[in-house]
Amino acid sequence: MSSQQQILHFPLGGKIRLAPNEWQVWSGPDEAANSTLPDLERSSHKLLMPFTWWRSHFHSNQQNPDVLAKAKNRQLGVWFATDDDVLIHADLIEEGKQYWPLVAAHFPIFRDGRSFSTAAILRDRLGWDKEIRMIGDVLIDQLLQGARVGFDSFELRQDQDLDVAQKQFDLFTVATQNSWRGKRTLISAF
Amino acid sequence: MYKYDHIDQTLVDQRVAQFRDQVARRLNGTLAEEEFRPLRLQNGLYHQRHAYMLRVAIPYGLLSSNQLRTLASISEKYDRGYGHFTTRQNIQFNWIILEDTPNILADLAKVEMHAIQTSGNCIRNITSDAFAGVAGDEYVDTRPICELLRQWSTLHPEFAYLPRKFKFAVNGAKEDRTVLLCHDVGIELKKNKDTNHGELTADIYAGGGMGRTPILGSLIKQGLPWQLLPSYLTALLRVYNRFGRRDNIYKARIKILVKALGPEEFARQVEGEWLPIKNGDDNFTQSEWNRVAKHFTKPPYQSLPTLSNEQVIAKANEVDTVAFARWLERNVKSHQVPGYASVILSLKPHGTVAPGDATTAQMNAIADLADQYSFGELRVTHEQNLVLADVEQVKLFELWQAARQQHVALPNVGLLTDIIACPGGDFCSLANAKSLPIAKAIQERFDDLDYLFDLGDISLNISGCINSCGHHHVGNIGVLGVDKDGEEWYQITLGGEQGNDAAIGKVIGPSFYADEIPDVITNVINTYVRNRDQDESFIQAYRRLGVTPFKEAAYKNKNKAEKSLGIAS
Repeated sequence: MSSQQQILHFPLGGKIRLAPNEWQVWSGPDEAANSTLPDLERSSHKLLMPFTWWRSHFHSNQQNPDVLAKAKNRQLGVWFATDDDVLIHADLIEEGKQYWPLVAAHFPIFRDGRSFSTAAILRDRLGWDKEIRMIGDVLIDQLLQGARVGFDSFELRQDQDLDVAQKQFDLFTVATQNSWRGKRTLISAF
Repeated sequence: MYKYDHIDQTLVDQRVAQFRDQVARRLNGTLAEEEFRPLRLQNGLYHQRHAYMLRVAIPYGLLSSNQLRTLASISEKYDRGYGHFTTRQNIQFNWIILEDTPNILADLAKVEMHAIQTSGNCIRNITSDAFAGVAGDEYVDTRPICELLRQWSTLHPEFAYLPRKFKFAVNGAKEDRTVLLCHDVGIELKKNKDTNHGELTADIYAGGGMGRTPILGSLIKQGLPWQLLPSYLTALLRVYNRFGRRDNIYKARIKILVKALGPEEFARQVEGEWLPIKNGDDNFTQSEWNRVAKHFTKPPYQSLPTLSNEQVIAKANEVDTVAFARWLERNVKSHQVPGYASVILSLKPHGTVAPGDATTAQMNAIADLADQYSFGELRVTHEQNLVLADVEQVKLFELWQAARQQHVALPNVGLLTDIIACPGGDFCSLANAKSLPIAKAIQERFDDLDYLFDLGDISLNISGCINSCGHHHVGNIGVLGVDKDGEEWYQITLGGEQGNDAAIGKVIGPSFYADEIPDVITNVINTYVRNRDQDESFIQAYRRLGVTPFKEAAYKNKNKAEKSLGIAS
């Protein structure tokens, strides 16, 4: 996975803004193009590791010292693949809260909606209150859904127009169901 | 009926603006067709054989006369002078151009209508009983729950990209008119003294569906208090969204997941997902109920005496007595309120137009009839007909005369020619074969009302492909278009049924050519006529006799049928 230069941020209750991307996504050991583990010791980049890789390299009894050092420096986060079951690994995620400044959930193709539920579960059920980034095949027209289920930063696909993207979040001033962003609109609000 | 408040109106207006921008980006090339596709589908826009097709939602089948006039005006302004009412309480326009769609949606928004989620892999338009609120056998009026669910599911952010489409049906009557068990989720509303102190509860059925793998839904939850529907459905949809198959479009519906896990295990997983969010604040409240339910009060009925059938018939001129009595028998249904009746306007004239089609002129005229005879409201049925739900019995003859002028008074409701059919290969790019010529040929073959009345209740449903939009699986006689080496063939199923005894029909054997179908149907019908007991309906006779005599009759003329290989049962 290559990284966008700019990340769109939309924090809860905050303003939409673009900022340079500090986090590099490592796709993991399985994908040929980008399979070498980044140099954890010397790389200045902050790294988002596959959650499965974290699971196998951050056992409390066999901790990789480089991983631990980088994690303690707040330079490691994880990203969830669509088939990572965040509920099964609730304990590991609970433990990760002390290390990860952010997590991400991946969209292998824009029409695969599993990561919407991942983000919703992280917010509703697992009490994750830091950043959740939308990564992968992220298109302009998914941002609104993403922002409402619990994502607050967005690494759009390279070809997406970031000016158009920034205009997506306030298309609707009302909602007919609750979301992470707020309760459904009540008529008494008018 | 429900009136939009400021929130609903704002939402549909803003949805139009959003889609207008998406269409503009598609037209200027910054949005690729593949990526535009789910966006347009979630606004009901398909790309068909000749043009775009726009599917407009008629939520739970309820329509005002003014809304019908807008549909008529759209059919005239943007289409070719007609619309097609579907089995799922939508209307489709077949000749739409992309550039017009934002304006069409804006026209719809002005009369509190939309095309939101009438397609795509999301929660679809919610269907219910066309006779809700008036049916004699109703224990719960489903409309407030349907409307609450419509709002809850509209633009739901977590479930916009499900593995596949997702359809809710809601029933609250003794007789199921919603094909409840053939939906991804069927919600049966009850008021039972034994559960929840007589409060409204829901039984939830999951994993039903038609299509390639027809299967009836399984009961996974009983006695769910109505307030908890949002949290329970969130849990259910979450399990499906996370674990439904995405590797194969034909295995992606929830029915496949429920089948693979088994209904008990699926129910257990939903329960596990639900318990932690059960008391979440997304649930419905009494004040939300009150806000919505106040729109579904009874219209200002007059206090009228109940008329006997003879008294109603006595209003007719002598020359019309027989025809009017037939219409009363088939197309007029009993009502909760004395002196009133519900009238079904048949959109199934014999052999002239597609089942479920209405012209611009008919839509305008029917809107006038609704104003004149039924408090300005209409309903759309699963069988693709229209209903005037609240007609005074004394005015039935007058209405019948007016309906006849519009060619919507054929007394064939529930009879063999009240065919359910999809648009088929004449329009739909998914279809393997045409549906409409088959429907036409059957209606022409059986164009004898005396004979049709003698045959009695029988359903014949036609789908142009295995997606089953014509609901052939639940027709007593089902006809399915299949493609064999580029040729159109038709497979016959028998024994399907909707309603409380819902059943999936069985394929009887190799498929037939189009021109064989009228003879095949005739042979099947003749077998019924020869073997029936007194007062025994087709489906009852089929259940007693089994498939064999019908199958033998269907293949009596074997020469052509033998050419067809491989699509056996």
